[in-house]
Amino acid sequence: MTDKILEMKNIHKSFPGVKALTDVQLDLYRGEVLALIGENGAGKSTLMKILTGIYQKDRGSIVYKGKEVAPKNTKEAQELGISIIHQELNLMQDLTVAENIFIGREPRDKLQFFLKDKELNKKAEELFQQLNIHLDPKTKIAELTVAKQQMVEIAKALSFHAKILIMDEPTAALTDTEISTLFKIIHWLKREGVGIIYISHRMEELKQISDRIVVMRDGEYIDTLETASANIKQVVSLMVGRKLHIEQKATNPSRWKEIALEVNQLNNRYLKDVSFQLKKGEILGFAGLVGAGRTEVARAIFGADPSTGIIKIHGKTVSIKQPYDAVRHGIGYLSEDRKRFGLLLEQTVQENIAAPSLAHYTKFTFMHTKKIKKETQSYSNQLKVKTPSMNQLVKYLSGGNQQKVVIAKWLLKNCDILIFDEPTRGIDVGAKQEIYDLLESLAKQGKSIIMISSELPEVLRLSDRIIVMNEGRTTGELPQHDANQESIMELATKQA
Amino acid sequence: MKMKSVLAIISLVLILAACANNTTEQKEEPNSGSSEEKPYIAIISKGFQHQFWQAVQSGAEKAAEEFQVEITFEGPESESQVDKQMEMLRTALDKKPNAIGFAALDSQAATPLLEEASEQDIPIIAFDSGVDSDIPITTASTDNYAAASLAAEKMAELMDEEGKVALVVHDQVSLTGTQRRDGFVETIEENYPNMEIVDIQYGGGDHLESTNLAKAILQANPDIAGIYGSNEGSAIGVVNAVKELGKEGEVTIIGFDSGKQQIDAIKDGVMAGAITQNPEGIGYETVKAAVEALDGKEVPESIDTGFFWYDQSNLEDKEIQAAIYE
Amino acid sequence: MSTAVIKQKMRGSAALQQILAFASLVLLIIFFSLASDNFMQWSNIEGILLSTTVIGILALGTTFVIITGGIDLSIGTGMTLTSVMTGVFIVYLGLPILIGILGGIVMGALIGLISGFSVSILKIPPFIATLAMMMIAEGLSLIISGASPIYFSDIEGFHQIALGSIIPGVNLPNAILIFFLMVLIGWILLSKTIVGRYTFSIGSNEEATRLSGINVTKWKIIIYTIAGCFTGVAGVIMASRLDSAQPALGMGYELEAIAAVVIGGTSLSGGKGSLVGTMIGALIMSVLTNGLRIMSIPQEWQTVVIGFVILLAVYIDMLRKKNV
Repeated sequence: MTDKILEMKNIHKSFPGVKALTDVQLDLYRGEVLALIGENGAGKSTLMKILTGIYQKDRGSIVYKGKEVAPKNTKEAQELGISIIHQELNLMQDLTVAENIFIGREPRDKLQFFLKDKELNKKAEELFQQLNIHLDPKTKIAELTVAKQQMVEIAKALSFHAKILIMDEPTAALTDTEISTLFKIIHWLKREGVGIIYISHRMEELKQISDRIVVMRDGEYIDTLETASANIKQVVSLMVGRKLHIEQKATNPSRWKEIALEVNQLNNRYLKDVSFQLKKGEILGFAGLVGAGRTEVARAIFGADPSTGIIKIHGKTVSIKQPYDAVRHGIGYLSEDRKRFGLLLEQTVQENIAAPSLAHYTKFTFMHTKKIKKETQSYSNQLKVKTPSMNQLVKYLSGGNQQKVVIAKWLLKNCDILIFDEPTRGIDVGAKQEIYDLLESLAKQGKSIIMISSELPEVLRLSDRIIVMNEGRTTGELPQHDANQESIMELATKQA
Repeated sequence: MKMKSVLAIISLVLILAACANNTTEQKEEPNSGSSEEKPYIAIISKGFQHQFWQAVQSGAEKAAEEFQVEITFEGPESESQVDKQMEMLRTALDKKPNAIGFAALDSQAATPLLEEASEQDIPIIAFDSGVDSDIPITTASTDNYAAASLAAEKMAELMDEEGKVALVVHDQVSLTGTQRRDGFVETIEENYPNMEIVDIQYGGGDHLESTNLAKAILQANPDIAGIYGSNEGSAIGVVNAVKELGKEGEVTIIGFDSGKQQIDAIKDGVMAGAITQNPEGIGYETVKAAVEALDGKEVPESIDTGFFWYDQSNLEDKEIQAAIYE
Repeated sequence: MSTAVIKQKMRGSAALQQILAFASLVLLIIFFSLASDNFMQWSNIEGILLSTTVIGILALGTTFVIITGGIDLSIGTGMTLTSVMTGVFIVYLGLPILIGILGGIVMGALIGLISGFSVSILKIPPFIATLAMMMIAEGLSLIISGASPIYFSDIEGFHQIALGSIIPGVNLPNAILIFFLMVLIGWILLSKTIVGRYTFSIGSNEEATRLSGINVTKWKIIIYTIAGCFTGVAGVIMASRLDSAQPALGMGYELEAIAAVVIGGTSLSGGKGSLVGTMIGALIMSVLTNGLRIMSIPQEWQTVVIGFVILLAVYIDMLRKKNV
C-alpha cells in the first residue's frame, strides 16, 4: 500500500505563446485513488496528456515503478501500464465492443494477418466476467448507451493490465446505479493495487472515493490534501483561489403570472402524455434518472424529434415541426452534447454567436459585419467568455466557455424561452457558479428557463419548481420548498 | 524533413515541365522573329491523341514542307473539351498567325473569336467537321453524309437488299456523328424498302461501352443481319460483340475509319469492309488552301478531301494504304 | 431484455440491407424477363456479367477506400494506365504474359500507393489527392503509349485471359470468374483480416483509432494500395477483353464504380459498407443498362433512369437506417 508507483517532478510545458504547466508535481501510490482537481485551464488535462504520451514534457522527470520514463505515444504509455479514459469517449462507433477493446491487439494467426474473432470475443467475455460487468462483446458501440460505452472504455483500459488508470470525469454521464457499479470496480482495482488518478468536479464523489486530493490552478501545483481531513469549502477555495458564496435560492412566486409555454399531451416514441406549464421568469427544473425522457421532452418541444400534442406559446397554439419553427417562436435549446449539436467547432466565437441571427443582420444578402461584431462582442463580454479574440475557433475554448458561447448565441437571437440540458456538464466549479448566476439573472430579466440536470443539488438550488420524470412520463411536480433529494428520488423511481 | 521532400518533388516537376516546354518552344521559335519571311499557320484540331489526328497532322506537315510555311498543330485531349479548344484558339490568335486552320468542337462557342480573327484579316480555313459559320473562307473535309451513304449502299449490296440492320454511333450531338448516322439511315430508308433499321445506339466511341451495347442489340434482335459502326471505337465494339457471341459470319459488319483492329477484322473476314476518310488529305488540303489564300488566289468554298471504301480486295492498294493507319 | 430485442433487430437489419439490395436485383431481372424474351437467355446473362467485370472490380477496390471515409477518383484513368503498362511490358518489352499481368497489377498498386501517400503523409484531402492522381494517370497513359493504342493481337493467349474459359466444357469467360474471385478475396480481406478491421476502424473514428495506438498513416497507405491492386486487375481484364490498351479510355469509369458502391449500401461518410453489397450494386447497374438496351429504350433515357435509381437506392438506405 505504501509503494510509490509514480512520481512526477518539476514538470514544465509550454505551447506557443502559452505557459501550460509550471513546476508541477504529483505522486501516486499503489492502490490509491488520487483526486486531481482544478478549474478548466488549470492544467490537469495537459499533465495527464504528458503522462499518457500525447504531449511531451519540456522539463522535469517522470519516475514510474522506480524508473524514469517518457512515453512517446498512447500506445507506449498503455504498454507501460498507464491508461486513460477520456471524458469524450474515444470509441469506434461502427465496431463491436470486443473489436474496440482489443483494437491493435486482435488475436491473429501466425501470419499476423487473419483475425481470430472467436478468440477475440472469448477474451472480451472473460474480461467482463473478471470485472463483473454485463456486456455482449458482439454488440456494436453505436447501439450502447453512453454509460455502457464508458464501461467499454474502462474495460479496455483494464485489459492492458493497467497499473495506473486515469479517469477524466468518469461519472458525468452515469446514473446513480451505474456510479455505484463504477465505484465497486474502483474498489476492486484498489485491492488489485492499481493507482487511480480521478478527475472530477463532483465534490461529494471525491469525498466518497478518493484517498488524497491534488489541487491545481493556472498551470501550477497548489496543494495536496488528505481527503479524510479535508472539507469541501476548503478544497473549492484552493481551487478557485477566491471565496465562493453559496446563497440560498430566494423564491418569489409573485414574479410568475404569465404562462410562457404550455405543453399538453406531448407524445412520441419516447414520451407518454407529458403536460406542464412554464411561467415567465421561472426556472423550471427537470429531474429524473438518465434515460427518464427529460432530453426527449426538450427535443420534442424544440422540433428536433417528431411528436404529437399541443404546444402553446404565450397562449397561442403553435406548430413546431422543426427547430427552425421553435427558434422563430423564441425557443432556444442548449444541448447536453455541445460539441455535436450546439457548436460549429471549426468556426470562430463570433460566427457561432451570430449563426442563428444572421438573417437579422443581412440586407440584400450583404451582412452587416460591423454590427455583428459589436453585438456578439457585447454578449461575449457580458457572459465573460474567456477567449483571446472573437476570431478564436470555438474548438480551442474550454467546456465552460463553449457553453457560454451557446448561451450568447440564443440571447442574441432574442429567445425568451431557453431550454438548458445539463448546463454544467463537464464544467468546473468556478465556471459552474458563473453559469448558475447567469441562469438566475436571465430569469430575473424575464426569460423562462427549463433546466434539465442530473445533479440533484444543482436542480434543488436553481429551480423554482421541479418536474420529475420516469420512463417517459411525468411522475410528479414539486414546488421549491417541498423539494429535497429524497422526495425527488422517490418520484424519479416511481412506476407511472 | 517532410517539407524538404515536398519541395524536392515540386522542383522536380517544375524542371520536367520546363524541359517539356523547351521542346515546344523550339518548334514555335521560327515564327517569333528570325524567319519573318516564312508565313505561320496555326492549326487547332479537335484532338491530338487519336491516330486520326496524327495522320491529319502528318498531312499538314507534308504540305508545310512543300509550300515552305511554319505550322503548329494542337488540339484538346477529348472531344468534349470545348472550353480548352477555345483557349487554344485564343492563344493562337495572340500569336498573330498569318492564317488559322480550325476544326470546331462547337461552332457557336468559337464565333466571337473567329470574328476577331476576321477583323484582323486572318483567313480561317475550316477542316474536318468544319465550322458552322460564313467566316471561314473554305472547309476542307470529308463529306460524311456521302461517306455514310456509301456505307449504306455497300451494306445493302452485301445483304441482298433485305434484312434487319442496326447502328452503333459514336455521338448523337456532333456534326460528324449525325451526318454519319443520317447518311446511312436515309439511304437505307429511301432506296431499300426491304431493309429495316431496328436500333440506333450511341457508345461515345468508347470500345468497351460499344462492345456491351452492341451485344445488347444482338440479344434484343437475334435475327439481325447487319451492323454499322460509325467510327473506330464503335466499329471495334461491334466486332468484339459479334466475336464474343460467336456470330462471326452471321452478321455483316461495316465500319468507319481504320486502326489495326479494324484492318485485322477485315483481313479475318469478320468485318466486311469500312469507309476511310483521307486524314492526310485533310491536313494537306487545309494548309494548301491557307497558302493559296495568303497568296491571294481564289479558293473554292468547300474542298472535299475524299473518302474510300476498303475491304479485303483493295486493302493493299497504294491509295488505301496512304489513307488508313494502324 | 429490451437491449436484447434491439440487438436482434439490428442484426436483422444488417442482413436486411443485403436482402433488400438483392431483392431489388431479382425484381429488376424479373421485370426485364417479362418485358423482353431476349433478356433471360444464357448468352445475355453472360453478357451482363461480362459487362459488370471491369466496373465491378474497380468498385470493389474503391469500397475499401470509401469505408475509410475517403474517395478514390483515380481508379478510372488509373485502370487505363495499368492496361497501357501491361501493353508496354508484354508487347514492347516482350516479357512473358504472366510478368506483364503482374506488372500491370503492380502499376495499379503503385498508383494507389502514391494516392495513399498523398492522403496520409502529405495530408491532402482524398478528393483532391486522387483527382490529381486521376489527371497524372491520364497524362502518363498518353505519354507512355505515344497516344496510340497498344495491340495484343500478336500475343498468343492474351485475349484468352478475359474471354477464354478455364473450366473445360463450360462456356464461362474467365473475366466473370475473376470478378467473383475478386469479390471473394475482397470479402476475406475486409471481414477476416486485420486490414478490414482497421479499414472500418479508421472510417468509424480516425482519431480514436490513432489514439488506440494504430499506425493510421501506414494502414491508409496499405488500404489505398489494395484498392490500387483491384484497379490493376481491372486494367488487365480491360486490355484483354479489348485485345488492346486504349490510352484514351477510362475517364468517367470511376464515377460509375462509385455509383455501384453507393447503390450497394456503403456510406460515403465512412465506417459502414460491404463488398457483397458493392457486388450487388454493380450487378444492378449493369442489369439496368442491359435491360433498358434490350428494350430499345432510347439511350438518353437510360442514363436518366440510372440517375434516378441511384437517388432511390441511397434514399431507401437512409430511411432504413433512420428507422432502426
